[in-house]
Amino acid sequence: MVRASALVKKFGDFPAVNGISFKVRSGETFGMLGPNGAGKTSTLRMISGLSPVTSGELEIDGIDATTNPRSVRDVIGVVSQHDGLDPDISVRDNLTVYGFYFGLDRDMANRRAAEVLSFFGLKSRGDDSVDDLSGGMRRRLTIARAFVSRPRLVVLDEPTTGLDPSSRNRVWEQLAVLKNSGVTVLMSTHYMEEAAILCDRLVIMDEGRILASGTPDQLIQDSAGAEVAQVRPEDGQRDSVHRQLRDSGYEIAEIGAIFTVRGLNGMKADLSGIKGARISYRAANLEDVFLSLTGKGLQDE
Amino acid sequence: MNDSLAKRQAQRRFDFRLRGVVGVWLRHYTAFKAGWMVEMTGILLEPAFILAAVALGIGKLVGELENDNNEISYAVFVTPGIVVGNAMWHSLFECSWGAFRRLQTNRIYDSILAAPVSMRELVMGEIGWGATRALMTTIAVLAFAAITGLVESPWAIGIVLIGILTGLMFGGFGLMAAAIAPSTHMLTLVFTMVGTPLFFFSGTFFPISTLPTWMQPVAWALPLTHPVRIARGFATGDLYLSLLWSLLYIVVATAIFFPLATRLLRRRLLV
Repeated sequence: MVRASALVKKFGDFPAVNGISFKVRSGETFGMLGPNGAGKTSTLRMISGLSPVTSGELEIDGIDATTNPRSVRDVIGVVSQHDGLDPDISVRDNLTVYGFYFGLDRDMANRRAAEVLSFFGLKSRGDDSVDDLSGGMRRRLTIARAFVSRPRLVVLDEPTTGLDPSSRNRVWEQLAVLKNSGVTVLMSTHYMEEAAILCDRLVIMDEGRILASGTPDQLIQDSAGAEVAQVRPEDGQRDSVHRQLRDSGYEIAEIGAIFTVRGLNGMKADLSGIKGARISYRAANLEDVFLSLTGKGLQDE
Repeated sequence: MNDSLAKRQAQRRFDFRLRGVVGVWLRHYTAFKAGWMVEMTGILLEPAFILAAVALGIGKLVGELENDNNEISYAVFVTPGIVVGNAMWHSLFECSWGAFRRLQTNRIYDSILAAPVSMRELVMGEIGWGATRALMTTIAVLAFAAITGLVESPWAIGIVLIGILTGLMFGGFGLMAAAIAPSTHMLTLVFTMVGTPLFFFSGTFFPISTLPTWMQPVAWALPLTHPVRIARGFATGDLYLSLLWSLLYIVVATAIFFPLATRLLRRRLLV
C-alpha cells in the first residue's frame, strides 16, 4: 500500500527525514514510533501530499506520490494533529462538506455523513457545534471525517496526543474496530503503549532515521529481552547502586529515581548481588527498545 | 536525482478540478446559511444606513455637483460609490479576516488541502466566495437605492457585474494579506491602512478633481477608484469609452493578485 525508498525531506539544509525506507502492506496497521522531532509528521505529510518530497521514492496504492500528490489524496484519509475542524458549521456539516471536497454529490455526502456519525458514536451530536465537543469527541469526529470518502489508507498523526486516558481508550477501541474492517492504517505515535496495542508492525524513528522495524514482539525480543529489572535505590544509595549496576555489565538507564536494567541476549538480568535497592521485574516494552537503541526515553525533549 | 525530482514536480501537468472550487464554495455557503439572519444585517442594513445618511442627509447640504462635465445630485453621485465600496469591504473582510481564521486559527485550510483540493482551487473557492458576498451586498443595496429613487438609469443593473469584479479583485488582495499576516493584530492593518483610505479617497464620496492636484494621481492609482468610476457610469447611464481603461485596470489587478495569493499560501502551508 505504501512503499518508501530513501525518502528525504529537508527544510533548508536540515534533514527532517533523512533517507528512510519502509513498506506498509495492504490491510495492516503500521506504526511510526518516536519522540517529537523524529520526522514522523514530516513523513506523514509527504505521504498525505501536503509536503513536497525532497528526494527519494514514495508510492501509495500504486501512485507516484512525489509527482502526483493529489491522486494520492483521492484514496487516503488524513487525521492531522490539529483537528482542523470547522467551528462555523455543525458536526454533521463538517462531514458533509468534507464529502463535497471529494466531489460527492449532496445525497451521497449526506448518506456518508450519517453513516460515519453513527459508526463513531456521534449520532446524537450531529447538530451541535464543534466547539461544544470534548477533546475526545473532537478527535473521533476528525477520524470520522477521514472516513467519509471511504479511503483505502488512513493516515493518523499522533491520534491520541493530548487526550485524557479514557478518551484515549475510546479512540483505541474505535481504531481497533477499523483495523478489523480491513482498512490499511498508518499512524505515528510517541506512546509506546499505543504502538504495542494497535500496530501489527512498526518502525522506530529518531532524528529522521529508522532505527529498527518489526512486529512489537520482535522488536522487544531483539533489543530489550523478555524482562527488564527496575532498580529503585534506597535513600542515599543512588551513587552506590549506580556503581554496582555499571560494574555488572548490563545495559542500564536512569529514568527519574529508577534504574532500568536490560539483560544480555534476551536473558533476565541477575541482580541478586545488588545492595541498597529494591528490585522488581516487569515485561520489557517498546520504551525499553527505544532506550536501548538511542539511550534516551521517548518522552524526552 | 534530486534535481530531476524537482524538475518532475515542477512539470506536473495542469491539473484542475472544478469540483474542488465548488466544494470550497459550498463550505462557505453552508456556514453562511447557518447564520444568514445575522449576515443580512451586514449585507443590507449597515450599507443602507450609510446610504440613507449620506444620500438623504449630507446630500441635502451638498446639492448638485459636477461629475465628468454633467451636473448630478449628490445622492445620485454617491450611491454607486457606496454600493461598490461595500462590495469591497465584504470581499476584503471575508478573504482577509475570514480567511486568516480558517488558515491559522482553525486550520481549516490544512483539512481542505488534505482532501483532493489543490491550492489553486482553494484560492478560487475563497475568492469566489468573497465575490459572492460582494454580489449579495451589491444586489441588496442597489435594490434599496432603486426603491428609494437614488439611481437614475436602467443601466444601473450593470453595477451588479461591477460588484462581482470588485469582489474578485479585493478577494485576491485580501487573501494575499491573510497569507503573509503573522497575526490577526497585523491583519487589522488591511482595514486601517487599505480599506478605510480606499473607501473614502477613491472618488466614492467626492470627485477626485476636488483633491489637491498632487493627490489626484494617487487617487487615480487606487484600485477602488476604477470600479467606482464604472459603476457611476452605469448609475447615470453615462457610459464612455475611457471606462474601458478602468475595466482593464480591474482585470489586470485581479490577474496579478490571484496567482500571487496562490503562491504565498503555497509557501506558507505546503512546506
